[in-house]
Parts: sequence; structure tokens; C-alpha cells
Amino acid sequence: MKYEVYHEIRVTDDYSIFDFVSVGRRGTIPKRIEFSPTDIDGFYNLAFGDIDEQGGIDDYSISNNGDRNKILATVAYAVEIYLAKYPDRWVFFRGSTLERTRLYRMAVGLNLEELSANFELYAQQASGVVPFEKNIEALGLLVKKK
Amino acid sequence: MKQKSIKYRSDLFKQEITLTVDENLNKLKGKILAPKKLEAANKVLRKLQPVLPK
Repeated sequence: MKYEVYHEIRVTDDYSIFDFVSVGRRGTIPKRIEFSPTDIDGFYNLAFGDIDEQGGIDDYSISNNGDRNKILATVAYAVEIYLAKYPDRWVFFRGSTLERTRLYRMAVGLNLEELSANFELYAQQASGVVPFEKNIEALGLLVKKK
Repeated sequence: MKQKSIKYRSDLFKQEITLTVDENLNKLKGKILAPKKLEAANKVLRKLQPVLPK
């Protein structure tokens, strides 16, 4: 995939947290990605956003820094690293709004050929879970290394 | 403080990045940094549990 990514990333030694800095028209904005265990064994939740004052993740922030695609690609890169380390885990992610979830779904759809060669991808729908296809309804996404 | 850096090359992105293990970040391990997001994910996944892929 030919997307620019941020090249300097700080991590925990177990790769549960990734930090990087967005650089754009509004300056520098620290970003954080977290993979946390859910109540379902083997399923991990992906959270992503600006870092708040307590070190938590604010996934409702709109930074408007002009680097959306670079940020999304960096998050996807982090997912690749995480799943390379934990190939038996599923990562679940959804946007903080329907619009953001639609953006993630479209980004996956645009790169589906390359992604599906490396990952199992499913869409969460109101009625259940189905294998991901382009232009499919998706309220959330599930991904695992093939 | 000595930091451990790893060069990682993605097969997917065909680009190399530098991962630096951060001791301050390590202190956050195990804390839930986006509790509302996790709670929402748990709610969805619990409902879907019978049909989740293996």
C-alpha cells in the first residue's frame, strides 16, 4: 500500500500502546493507540485518538491537522505490528461516530485486495458478523492475521 | 535512560519505521485508557459472542 505513515513510534514492550505525533497545519498533536482485552477471550479492542491530560484517549477530538490519511495509515501499520506479534488475536474496532466508522470501512474497502491477502476481515452488522466485502454495511470491523 | 529501538519493515506498507520502547509508556500497561470505548466494545461483542469468528 502506498500510504505515507509516521516513522517514529513509541511503544510499550508488549505493543499494547503505540504513541506518535501528528504534524500538520495546526502544529504537533500527540496521538495514542491502545489495544485492550475485552470480556471475550481472544478479542482485543482498538482505541485511538488524542492523548488527554490524564494520559487517556480522546477519540472524539477533531484535530483537523491535514494528515488524516497519514494517521489512518499509521494506525493500520500499528495493527499490522500488533497482529504480527499476536497472530491468534482478533482486533475489534469501530469509529467514535458513524461517520468515522464509515471512513474506516471505506479505507479497508479501498485496500481490500492487499489486506485480505494478509488478514481475515469481518464486518459487524446489526444482525451479526459477516466476512468483509466492499461497500458492505459495517458498524464495526474485526481483523486477525491469516 | 537507555531506550530500546527496533526497526520494523511492513510487508504491507513497504516502509520502515522505528519503534522505541518507552519506559514511561510501559507504566501505563494494564490501565484502560479508553474505558467508554472498551465498555461499548464489550457490549457489542457479548451480544455477538455466539456468531463471532474463531
